[in-house]
Amino acid sequence: MKNYYFSTKKMCVGYDNKPLIKDMEIELREGEILCLIGPNGAGKSTVLKSIAGQLGLLGGAVYLGEDDLSEMKAEELAKKMSVVFTERVRVELKSCRDMVATGRYPYTGWFGILSEADERIVDEMMQLTHITDISEKDFGKISDGQKQRVMLARAICQEPEIVILDEPTSYLDIKYKLEFLLLLQEMREKKGLTVIMSLHELELAKIVSDKILCLKGEYVERYGTPEEIFESDFIERLYDMNEKDFIGNEKLLAYMKQIGKYER
Amino acid sequence: MMHKNRKHRKIAAFFLLGACVLIFFILNICIGSVRIALPDVARIFSGQESNGTVTRILWDIRLPRAIAVLLLGGALSLAGYLLQTFFNNPIAGPFVLGISSGAKMVVALVMVFLMGRGVRMTSATMILAAFIGAMLSMGFVLLMSHRIHNMSMLVVSGVMIGYICSAVTELVVTFANDADIVNLHNWSRGSFSGMTWENVKVMTVVVAAASLTVFLMSKPLGAYQLGDVYARNVGVNLRLLRVCIVIFSSILSACIVAFAGPISFVGIAVPHLVKKLLNTTEPIWMIPACFVGGSAFCLFCDLLAKTILAPTELSISTVTAIFGAPVVLWIIKRKANLRR
Repeated sequence: MKNYYFSTKKMCVGYDNKPLIKDMEIELREGEILCLIGPNGAGKSTVLKSIAGQLGLLGGAVYLGEDDLSEMKAEELAKKMSVVFTERVRVELKSCRDMVATGRYPYTGWFGILSEADERIVDEMMQLTHITDISEKDFGKISDGQKQRVMLARAICQEPEIVILDEPTSYLDIKYKLEFLLLLQEMREKKGLTVIMSLHELELAKIVSDKILCLKGEYVERYGTPEEIFESDFIERLYDMNEKDFIGNEKLLAYMKQIGKYER
Repeated sequence: MMHKNRKHRKIAAFFLLGACVLIFFILNICIGSVRIALPDVARIFSGQESNGTVTRILWDIRLPRAIAVLLLGGALSLAGYLLQTFFNNPIAGPFVLGISSGAKMVVALVMVFLMGRGVRMTSATMILAAFIGAMLSMGFVLLMSHRIHNMSMLVVSGVMIGYICSAVTELVVTFANDADIVNLHNWSRGSFSGMTWENVKVMTVVVAAASLTVFLMSKPLGAYQLGDVYARNVGVNLRLLRVCIVIFSSILSACIVAFAGPISFVGIAVPHLVKKLLNTTEPIWMIPACFVGGSAFCLFCDLLAKTILAPTELSISTVTAIFGAPVVLWIIKRKANLRR
């Protein structure tokens, strides 16, 4: 049973040699969507950065197919994995199109000049993410939600097999949130894109993910399908929510209960 | 369609900068303590006239000096651009970060040491000494930047390093022999005068090699502007790139200090003006444009330094500061407005 596209073995992540989360075992097939959920400060971003090779592992290994990520060449990895993180990108005098085009970096020659084919891919990805109309706008002068979509377009412009997204929906309004998730599912069907992302919106995690990883404390709290995660009062426990705190406010209580449940 | 226009603008900007270099170069050759008319210059260069003081002035003084200004001005502006990219700070430059002063200090020490033993310094020794000094200051700045993440504080620490190095240099100059002082004093204030063909040969090789290498790095430099995360994600070897930026910006700064002494503000003002002119930050355009722009700016400033109070020559930094410092103030003001 070795045909997982992405897997980690005994992965241990953290900063400055201080382990934060230990013995992580993740297994994903090609085209699966994994969501990381957990309370603030649980280490979602740390895990994503470690998986993406941005942060050294403190132990264990990450595999793409059979290949150990730490042994892959940077240029090779760049063609397989792309990222959108929450760090602010500060650039000057760069249009949105320029920004998206930076995703072609691993495919261009020594001087990084785009070919006709590259230009076509840039256009295509901008259409997919609905940013063609802001193509020539200055990247520094658009809204956070627009930036998020530009960075997403940049990431898929890299034509990855797997993308790592840290809170990709945070600045998006409800329409773009749903469109974004639609896009991920489209990319999965058309190109077999595998996705690992952190999400704050549990309702969304519930409907889009194939697997969910719950983080809290030193070890992975729980890893499984949405059906397995959203059962009984697990979500309440994961986020330390207490029914007693909501007594007297029936609406909030009902909302909390409803989020924790999985419905087919 | 839109990016066609943007490309035209960049090409037009290059023509403009190139024209400036050409005009100022010619003016630099013609104007000085003795005015040489353009037809005479042409006649001398074509070999129809080979005798006389005018020929000597042209061949031995004006031409090497103008070429040196062209090369060093370009190198200085390029060094500034590299440092600004490296620290992601629009007011970083070899002068404000104390790199020029560090280079100056080591060159002064070596110069006094060798002069005391009656040895003349070769161009290569000068560059090497300046490079060591530049790396020393750069090392300090990098150490500080590990601890300080605030960019303005980084610049302040650079300025402090510059003061310390300048103080040491002054000390050395004060204790040097009288005969050495004249030489050292002119140089330590910054001046393009007294360039020899030997100087020009050595600097041509070093500046051309370093600048070309920097140009070959334009693709990773472009990715570096997106920040560490995205640069690493597209496959840039960040550590190697950082080492290269540090080394090449130090080589370029060292070259300037070795031959012309520390020159202020060119490294900050020119890349900024060029960026506005070309309306881009892409290294593949900015690297050559900064070089040409730096050449034009320094040729212009050297022309003024020679002519304003002729026959007395102003130090080049006096002139570059007059034109460069307001640009820096303008950058700071704009940044402050953007933050608000």
